[in-house]
Order: sequence, then C-alpha cells, then structure tokens
Amino acid sequence: MNDDRFDRLSEDFRATPSAGPEARARLLERIGRVPPPRRGARFGELRMPAPLAAAAALLLVAAGLLGPRAWRTAWSPPARRSDAVAAASLEAAVVRFELSAPGAARVALVGDFNDWDAAATPMRRVRASDRWTVSLPVATGRHVYAFVVDGTRWVGDPLAPRAPEDGFGSPNSVLVVGGAESTL
Amino acid sequence: MAVFRPPFPLAGRGPAASASFARTGVTASPVAALYGAGMDDAALIARVLDGDAGAFTVIVDRYHGDCSRFALRMLGHRQDAEDAVQDAFLGAYRGLARYRERQTFRAWLYRILINRCRSVARQRRRRASRFVADERALADAPAAARDGDHVLRDSLQTALDALDPRLREAVLLKYGEGLDYRTMSEMTGAGISALKMRVRRACAELRPRLEESR
Repeated sequence: MNDDRFDRLSEDFRATPSAGPEARARLLERIGRVPPPRRGARFGELRMPAPLAAAAALLLVAAGLLGPRAWRTAWSPPARRSDAVAAASLEAAVVRFELSAPGAARVALVGDFNDWDAAATPMRRVRASDRWTVSLPVATGRHVYAFVVDGTRWVGDPLAPRAPEDGFGSPNSVLVVGGAESTL
Repeated sequence: MAVFRPPFPLAGRGPAASASFARTGVTASPVAALYGAGMDDAALIARVLDGDAGAFTVIVDRYHGDCSRFALRMLGHRQDAEDAVQDAFLGAYRGLARYRERQTFRAWLYRILINRCRSVARQRRRRASRFVADERALADAPAAARDGDHVLRDSLQTALDALDPRLREAVLLKYGEGLDYRTMSEMTGAGISALKMRVRRACAELRPRLEESR
C-alpha cells in the first residue's frame, strides 16, 4: 500500500475521539496522590554501603599498583579485527531465490535487504512452470526474507531455515551470506 | 508526603479548555499560558525535579491527547486505554529523575506507554480466556455490567483489531503518530528492519479490509 492511500489512515487516526477532560482530570488526581519526583543522586552524592566502598577502594589501589601496562594488556582489542569486519561488510553475493507457487499470478521477494517492499523485487515465472525466481546481490551477513504471493499472502521459503522472530503465523526465512559460502 | 498542586482547579474550565481550544486555535490552556507555551519539555522536567510539581500539568496537556488516541487504537477499549495512559504518565512522573535527554521525552513516554499497552493486552487475554467458558453467566448479566459502551467500534478499529498486536503497534506509530523508524525503534525496542517489515505486513493486511469498508 503506498503512502498516499495511508494518508487516509492517518486522517482517520487523527479523528479518533479524544479521551476528554474527565480522563485528564482523573489522571491529574492520581498524579496528585504520588510523591513528587526528585533529582537522582549526582556522582559526588553517591552513597555506597561501607563494605562495598571498602572493596571498591581496594580494587582501585590494586589497579594503581599493577600500573597502566597491565590494563593495556587486559583491555587491548584483538589486532586488526575491525579491519576484517569492515572488509567483510563490503562484500556481497548474487543470490538466486526460487519458490514453487502453483496458481500464483505474481510473486515478490521481500526482506530486510529491500525494506520489505513488495513492489521492489518482483519475481519472474520460469516458463511453463509454477516456479518463480529472481537473482539479486545481497550483502554479507544474516538476512531475513519471505515471499509475497499475489500481493497479500506472505510465505516463508520451504527450503530455508526459519527465522524465530516476527513470524506472525507465516514464518520468515533466514539467509546467511558468508565470506566463503552462503546458506539458503 | 508533598502534595501535587496544579495551578488551576482539576475539574471545570481548565482541562476542557485545553482540549477544545487547541483544535480551534483560540488560545492555549491556562497552564500553558502560565508557564509560557514555548517552554520545552526539558525545561519543564527540570522545574518538576526542582520541586514545581505543577509543571507536570503542562506535560500532561502536551501529550495526553496523543497518548490517549494511540492507546485507544492499540487496545480498542476506552477503559483499558485510560488505564494504560494513566499508568504510563504515573510511571513517567515517578521515574522522571531517570529520564535522560539523549532521548526525546515523547519517545521515552511512548516507550512506557507501549509497554503498558502490551501489559494491558496480555491481562485482557488472560481475563478473556478465564471467562470465555462462562458465556451463559455473561448472557444473564445485567446490561449495565457489560462493557460494550467502552469498546471502540468503527471500520478502522475493526481492521486494526484483526492485526497481530506487534503489526498494529508498528502501523500506528508509523502512520498514526507519523514517526520515523529510528524513533520507533527507540520506543519499541525492535530493530529498524523488523519494524519496516511489520509496517509493510500491516499495510498488506489492512488494505483489503479498509477498501472493503469504504
């Protein structure tokens, strides 16, 4: 549904009846029975139980004795890790998606790679068959996708692992595009 | 215990005026006039935390209408919506010292409200499953005891009620509140991609229902 059609939804929503002054008065009455909020303790005002404070002080002393070298060793990130991640994130692979959908008039691919837009990636019917296909470049990483049959029916990929999140009764599927291999 | 003193009577002209005059553009509410309409949320919150509890009334004036509308569309039931909105404002008021300005107050408040709506919906489902078997008792109950009057009935609500709550929440935030996906993500705790998918799915499900009703 394009945004123009949803202008009406926005209008209808804005025409929702107001809660009314009585509801507001009831709310203020309830708020009036609650102690007013106070500012939280600032850093200098933080209070800590004595044993905890002693333990914290000991830790700080120990850290001072070990010196900055020990801290550096403990906290250094793995060398060049970020470089590797950055390089991998630039990669993409061309992935071919296929679905068998008997009787369908149109099928589209939707996923996080096309903002779940059913108009963005229509699939092509393989001649004289029920199979629909489309190929497109997909960036390295984990992706969630589904197919939209005839504009309304969302179906998962029967040949791919299912995503646990946001199934809404018709689970999405997971695609992992890795450096060396892709899983579909 | 300190007492909350709004700078005008709780019932009567003040609240009604703020609700109705805002539409006609005649004037702002008496409270807003007192504090200055230009005072932003952060300044009002600072005043509340400095002991001026009445400044929270301006916050209520500013967001009560929008929050009520959202909750009503989320829950489809006036009393449930009012409960959720009251709990959300009370939660925000009690926890005001925890609010940090890296998030807008509106987003913070809506996050609380969304969680309240989810809880109310969960409680309602439990309630419904507990009483669904006693249909005869329900039929025999006096009309006044039924809560049919609290149920919002229009074509938009009928279409929204049929959606999964997460889809309804997403489409209301997107098209009802006009929010961008980043703000929606802050409010709901869901990822941007998941939210986009929910909105698309909600649109796909709403379209035939809304067109059918027009």
